[in-house]
Amino acid sequence: MDLRFTETQEILKKMARDFLTTECPKTLVRKLEQSTEGYSPEVWKKMAELGWMGLIIPEEYGGMGYTFQDLVVLLEEIGRNILPGPLIATVTSTFPILHSGTEEQKKELLPKVAKGELILTTALLEGEGVFDASGIAVQATPKGNDFVINGTKLFVEMAHVANRILCVTRTKEGASPDKGITLFMIDAKTPGISYEVMPTTAADKLCEVRFKDVTGPKKNMLGKLDEGWPIVEMMLRKGAIAKCAESIGAIETCVEMTVAYSKERVQYDRPIGSFQALQHKFADMWTGMETSRYLVYEVAWMESEGLPCTKEASMAKAYVNEVYKDVAKWAVRLHGAIATSADHDIPFYYRRSKAADIAFGNTDFHREIVAQKIGLV
Amino acid sequence: MDLALTEEQKVRKQEFYDTCKELEKKKPPSFLGAETVFERDDCWEYHLHCAKEFAKKGWLALSWPPEYDGRGDMMDRVLFAEARGYYDIPGVDIFGVQMLAPTLLQAASEEIKRKFLPPIGRGEVMWCELWSEPNAGSDLASLSTTAIKKGDEYVINGQKTWNTQAHRADWGFGVFKTDPAAKKHHNMTFILLDMKTPGITVRPIPYLDGETPYCEVYFDDVHVPAKNIVGQEHEGWTVVNLLAGFERSGIDTIMSYIRALEELVEFCSKTKRHGQPLAKNPLVRNRLAELACQLEAARALAYRVADLQNRNEMSLMDAAAGKIFFSELGERLAFVATDILGPYGQVKTSRWAPLNGLWEKLFHDHFVTTVSMGTNEIQRNIIAWYGLGLPRIR
Repeated sequence: MDLRFTETQEILKKMARDFLTTECPKTLVRKLEQSTEGYSPEVWKKMAELGWMGLIIPEEYGGMGYTFQDLVVLLEEIGRNILPGPLIATVTSTFPILHSGTEEQKKELLPKVAKGELILTTALLEGEGVFDASGIAVQATPKGNDFVINGTKLFVEMAHVANRILCVTRTKEGASPDKGITLFMIDAKTPGISYEVMPTTAADKLCEVRFKDVTGPKKNMLGKLDEGWPIVEMMLRKGAIAKCAESIGAIETCVEMTVAYSKERVQYDRPIGSFQALQHKFADMWTGMETSRYLVYEVAWMESEGLPCTKEASMAKAYVNEVYKDVAKWAVRLHGAIATSADHDIPFYYRRSKAADIAFGNTDFHREIVAQKIGLV
Repeated sequence: MDLALTEEQKVRKQEFYDTCKELEKKKPPSFLGAETVFERDDCWEYHLHCAKEFAKKGWLALSWPPEYDGRGDMMDRVLFAEARGYYDIPGVDIFGVQMLAPTLLQAASEEIKRKFLPPIGRGEVMWCELWSEPNAGSDLASLSTTAIKKGDEYVINGQKTWNTQAHRADWGFGVFKTDPAAKKHHNMTFILLDMKTPGITVRPIPYLDGETPYCEVYFDDVHVPAKNIVGQEHEGWTVVNLLAGFERSGIDTIMSYIRALEELVEFCSKTKRHGQPLAKNPLVRNRLAELACQLEAARALAYRVADLQNRNEMSLMDAAAGKIFFSELGERLAFVATDILGPYGQVKTSRWAPLNGLWEKLFHDHFVTTVSMGTNEIQRNIIAWYGLGLPRIR
């Protein structure tokens, strides 16, 4: 047992921190939130040069061939700094290709993803906003050799700038909702697709995506007909861990910024950080951070080793969701009025704590998985 | 990051688990967690029995150097604690094995080590801690019980309190004011003493549930050999800090909670309310799942502490965070479990009590983890002052 980062991971971490500090200052984050695109193509290009989109893609497909654990190290840094854009959407949409793609699909898509030439996203949620298969109603019906997709997806991250959309469709109605789900990798410019960016807490460009008689070519089907749901579950599991990694970075920043401010801010002739009312809150925030961190590292290790970890991943997501919201809330409160201003950086984290909570399944969704896995049946 | 165990570690872990599983069969029905060892005669006997069994295998001396009959390493200690915790097996003297032994190894003279370590390793001598006083709790350094040197002896006068297991222990370790004129933190000595020494009076204090896990100890001209000290004379504060630094990861307590939750889950699956198993109740599911997540987080942090300790690195902040987290998790477990049990949540061990009254017991016993070993408020100060570098008002 050794919970330290490997040398490679330390290098990756340092490189990411330096890069983000220089390339993604909060002035840019603010600008991107207000922009239509929500990401910087220039920064995206540089990230591709660093190999980030291809980090977990095997070298034979033009990637770096790093492990899932390494990805967690990178995402932690991204969460620390905040990097608006389609990185997590692209990376998590890559997992189904790696997992279930044909050799042809892998060769076509992965090298381009690694080079930063393809932005990917996944269209999962619909009107009900639930993360289980019962919420999937968008239909893909056979037409000749291909399929025709009709319906509306919601909360699709960065769909408006994506090149490919992994669309989770219903291809068969049956007794069990998770049977009859099929995945299609759709070219985002296919006629019949329209987008609208939804106004959200984190201004993170979640989109409504409408499919009207959109052709889903059979060659772009990912995995087998009607058997797509286990792929979605795998992606949700990995995505949940990835989101947790981003969150622990953000939690760390909240703690650091608030502690630093409390050492500088003087009231009653002393730094406010000398008051135990604040100190004990900081201790709780720090405890939340450390418990989250090592829980996420444990799960990331299991995922990297290919060990079954559905229960642990859900435990981590359900736990970190709550810690992040709580820490970010206290970061605002302990700063006082100053951090309630939109000009302050802490609100970026507070608003994102809600987005992070929802992405890849909120607390109650994951607690239900945990309930089943611990034997509450 | 690598959480994998080596093949040898896997083998030893299995042996720890197998042995503890076997010992569980002899557990008296009155055994309801670590505190009952101090409180109930049959549980104390069981504790002594387990200690002997562990001693035979050398497990009370894990990570000690070979010259004191030690074996294994820190990781073995962690795996052993995990197994003991899961089956909730006593036999490891918290005060002797977990606190004093590592302190002696680091700070005591060769003579003291040779004299006191082997009986601890053989599970023969049980210890208690003589620290707190009526007016020196969290602020231990303000203690007033004196040990005045006369010839080759100290003569101790005063009172200690909240001394867990003092009514059963053979020996005690404590800090006493040996130089009343010197300034705070440089006026006390860490002394080892035989609890049967004339002049010592031990009075059990009833705990809030009426049981007696701890005592107050009175000293009336108690003569102790002056050679029975650890560290330098008058510099006992350093030894106190050293001992407190041997923070345990809490993995044993956490594992006992994990097992208890498993049993509660089983109970909920078998027990019907409103015509369906409790396990089907969405509120029960959500609350128990929440606790399961927190337990996993507690366990992950305990491994972090263990990992640091394995490499002899400082674990002050993480150990404090771990202590805060798992002890308050114990509170939440007790509250949620006794809530789910409904009116049965108040029933002590009897034919009416679900799970033998374990949760009713924990409803009282969780204070032992939040209040003792440095209250959680002191732990928070440790994180704030020493970890985060926040200013301290004096």
